[in-house]
Amino acid sequence: MADNQKDLYYIKDLPVPETPAAGKEPEPWDKTNIIGKRIPRVDGYERVSGTAVYPADINLPRMLYGAILRCPHPNARIRKVDISVAEKMPGIRSVLTNDNPAAKVKWQWAKGHEGPLFDPHCRFEGEAVAAVAADTPQQARDALHAILVDYEVLPFVIDERQALKSGAAKVHPDGNQVKKDSYSRGDVASGFAAASVIREHEFRTEAELHTPMELHGCVANWDGGSLTIWESSQGVYAVQSKVAATLGLPLSRVRVVGHYLGGGFGSKLQPGKYTIIAALLARQTARPVKLFLSREETFLCVGNRPPANMKIKAGVKQDGTLTALEFIATATGGAYPAGGTSILDWLVRDLYTCPNVRCETTDIFINGGPARPFRAPGHPQCSWALEQIMDELAEAIGMDPVELRLRNVPRVSQGRGGIPYTTTGLEECIRQGAEAFNWAEARQAASRMNQAGGHLKRGVGMGSCVWFVGGGGPPSTVIVKLFADGSVNLNMGASDIGTGTKTVMAMIVAEELGIKPELIQIENADTGTTQYATPSGGSKTVPTEAPTVRSATVEVKRQLLKMAAEDLNEPVDALRFDGEIVVSTRDSSKQVKITDIKQLNKRGVVIGIGYRGPNPEGKSVNPFAAQFCEVEVNTRTGEIRLLRFLGSNESGRVINRLTYDNQVFGGITMGIGMGMTEFRQFDAGQTGKLVNKNWHDYKLPTALDVPLQMTSLPIDLPDPEANNSGAKGLGEPVTIPTAAAIANAVCHATGVRITSTPLNPLQVMSSLANSRRKED
Amino acid sequence: MLPGFSYTRPETLKKAVEELKAAEDAYLHAGGTDLLGCLHDGVFPAGKVVSISALKGLQEVRKLSDGGLLIGALTTIRTLETDADIGARYPVLSQAAAEVASPQLREQGTLGGNLCQKPRCWYYRGEFDCLRKGGKECFAFNGQNQFHCILGGSACYIVHPSDTAPALLALDASLQVSGPQGERSLPLSELHVAPNDDPRREIYLEAGEIITAIKLPKPAAGLKSSYRKIRARQSWDFAVAGVALALVMDNGTVKDSRVVLSGAAPIPWRSQKAEQALQGKPLNAEAAGLAAMEAMADARPLEHNAYKVPMFKGLIKEELLKFIAD
Repeated sequence: MADNQKDLYYIKDLPVPETPAAGKEPEPWDKTNIIGKRIPRVDGYERVSGTAVYPADINLPRMLYGAILRCPHPNARIRKVDISVAEKMPGIRSVLTNDNPAAKVKWQWAKGHEGPLFDPHCRFEGEAVAAVAADTPQQARDALHAILVDYEVLPFVIDERQALKSGAAKVHPDGNQVKKDSYSRGDVASGFAAASVIREHEFRTEAELHTPMELHGCVANWDGGSLTIWESSQGVYAVQSKVAATLGLPLSRVRVVGHYLGGGFGSKLQPGKYTIIAALLARQTARPVKLFLSREETFLCVGNRPPANMKIKAGVKQDGTLTALEFIATATGGAYPAGGTSILDWLVRDLYTCPNVRCETTDIFINGGPARPFRAPGHPQCSWALEQIMDELAEAIGMDPVELRLRNVPRVSQGRGGIPYTTTGLEECIRQGAEAFNWAEARQAASRMNQAGGHLKRGVGMGSCVWFVGGGGPPSTVIVKLFADGSVNLNMGASDIGTGTKTVMAMIVAEELGIKPELIQIENADTGTTQYATPSGGSKTVPTEAPTVRSATVEVKRQLLKMAAEDLNEPVDALRFDGEIVVSTRDSSKQVKITDIKQLNKRGVVIGIGYRGPNPEGKSVNPFAAQFCEVEVNTRTGEIRLLRFLGSNESGRVINRLTYDNQVFGGITMGIGMGMTEFRQFDAGQTGKLVNKNWHDYKLPTALDVPLQMTSLPIDLPDPEANNSGAKGLGEPVTIPTAAAIANAVCHATGVRITSTPLNPLQVMSSLANSRRKED
Repeated sequence: MLPGFSYTRPETLKKAVEELKAAEDAYLHAGGTDLLGCLHDGVFPAGKVVSISALKGLQEVRKLSDGGLLIGALTTIRTLETDADIGARYPVLSQAAAEVASPQLREQGTLGGNLCQKPRCWYYRGEFDCLRKGGKECFAFNGQNQFHCILGGSACYIVHPSDTAPALLALDASLQVSGPQGERSLPLSELHVAPNDDPRREIYLEAGEIITAIKLPKPAAGLKSSYRKIRARQSWDFAVAGVALALVMDNGTVKDSRVVLSGAAPIPWRSQKAEQALQGKPLNAEAAGLAAMEAMADARPLEHNAYKVPMFKGLIKEELLKFIAD
């Protein structure tokens, strides 16, 4: 995650008011009725039937359509923009360029990197040059073609491996190094000296591009001085603050609504220039403006997972004790600071017990689209290097890869100076996962088959992980309203990014009150009507919002029981609410139906406010995972068939087994994309343009690329310290070790270590042919 | 977004030919899976689009009196994939059809359109003024050419995207064409234009000509055929390397053969060297290995596609050996 994102997620030293009258966090659930079950999505009907209104579906009276002209060069200076033809075209209501006073707005890419919204120096292909608003989307796009731009095309650099060399084109005047970070503990030199075996390799992962189903964009509408934006977003409050700051508006004049979104994967944690442009076009025309990017545009300018070049060196003793790890990496977040190396070295620092660690990461500018957080930033890249070198070590000392990892399970967070985790399920993920996968037998069977000859080779591989965060934390405020008939309104600011947040939160309310989840109305992701929430990302939505929802619900119940106590003339402590009646545990004849509780009838509603309490002091809350896979490699053709996958996850309490398994399978699928099919391809050495900005050339895995046999194995360890729901994050650990596990399985099958993604037939065939040549 | 073209949907073949002939920048619209995308992306312009979807007569699949098969040009790829008679007598064709694109596209796409496809080169499709689009240079030659050709390249280095064309070539298919001058027949092997003949043209059809049907000869006794495709992902993708085989076997000996490669060359690539290596030989591992070597004898990889040479060798050998296992 980019550094500027951390401030959004994890606000430090914030005094946290506890849910007022409850006074203390609720105790962990003992036996649960709903939590842990497979509950279908509460908004499944709306999503499937099409009645769910996504931002892209918003259609307002008199609405115009916006479109953005983008720079076709990786580096160019604009001499002149001629809009004289475009602005006279039919249906064109406004054309904005940097020459227009209405567009004189500063856009902040990162602290210290501010520029005009329509920057006359375009530092990446896809930078915004001009924008139009028209009566129809077709007129808007046609007008873009009629805008004549005189570009001074400049030298560029689009490969971070070349960008620090002398003579490389400079992305910014101060040069191409964004920053260099280092970390060390112990003494790696003596650690390597103490090792029986040392292995060293260079690894590379290619850039991945976010391609959520719903495109990036918004609808903007002004009412006097107030702006309303319907944005496809992971966090409406994050959009509100950026838009308000950029346009110089009070927060109270910017309302952002995002009830649904069709996927984000980290690329919609923040608004884009398009959001500001839509607002400006709407102001210019005094009409609502809908501005959604084309698929091609989203490939260029709304984020990517940075490519990484990683040199890793590892030492181990014959008994499997790790003695030293050294990790030197470069990566790029594109043309502006965007977290190119953010938490890229975390797994090396924290995953396995190792006293001597040194890391150095260098973030580099290139003339490419800026990165945005991409599901578990930094981690799958680091895993690709670390998990493969672990397998190398295991082979070198003749130890099973599972055994080597089990020998090095830490009990404390070494990357945080040795503070304990609240719980650590790493060992159980590896041990139980291996057992459920039938690891030992599968490894042996594959080896036997491979020794028998033949060109189809079997391999079995694994990888494990910790995720940097995933514990959630304050701030969050949630309001639960109980109506007089016992049905409920749940009001929270968080977005449901498709993971099932709304369903999970309804289950929390239902569990606490004993009512059915379908009786809960959910109002969320609207800065005008719901409470402040940080964006949904970082695997923190459930561990942040679920305890808050629970606190609010507990407070509702407390008030309700107090009201019933008066009616029944029983002490509050003796009362129980089961969703329909309040009954005395001492004398079950003393009961009252919720509709008969006098005060509730009068008031009409009971309101409970929940605040997210603080995280435990001096401890780290993290989820853990391991993945196992079996592959078949055709050594004649380089084709890989994934036969089966198992993901074991320790993310604390399982709230909804259905949405949980969805995350596991989705994460593995995305990991297969990174490991086997996806790569960003620039036209290196020629134009520097992106050549695969479409869904054919940028290859996402299809249903046929995913194994039939996929297993999700939850390791449901109670974690009462983490928060009052006992749940930790899940959305990101599920995708971290996938690519590395595949590479390890391929190496087990073929004996060839492939160090660069993706493991498509092109790459595998090249590597196999090279290794054969070396053998000859 | 789209160029301002006119649209017509004639009811007769004759009218379609006239409409097509009448405008120089007219394009034929059959299944339409690619044409509108190309126009939308500005790959090429069109002044007129002539839809032949009303010509129901072009959808028939009919067994001929000589034992051959006539396949109307508007037959969908899905029909080829599922037709039991084609599956039994010409497995190479149904296997190739099953490898095309995705189920939705196979349902919509037609055989005639599949043979007349525009290239999928990412430079041709992208914002590059490449040779094939009338520009001065082939960007692939010095650029990102991992998906490009290793055989038959010259001036332009695309690979031909069709899966069905190699299968039909392996079956010695011929085409029925209607045009302003009437009907004519031409062997499929004479349809596709090699770049050293003209890098800006894909097919040898005259103005106003329409492919109406594809004719397959009766399968020879002892014919074994297959199609196999390697791609970068398992669905909705074009061939990285593919091979269509049609072998006429006699007592374990290869009496006649066709070895046609996809993903190898700018046109569906018949490898006569591989065929010669098999001719008259017993089909065994040695012959298969030799044929695979011969198929790659003329390969001239570019900077990023040398992997295709061992891949094709492995693929051809593997597919030939499957006939022995049968």
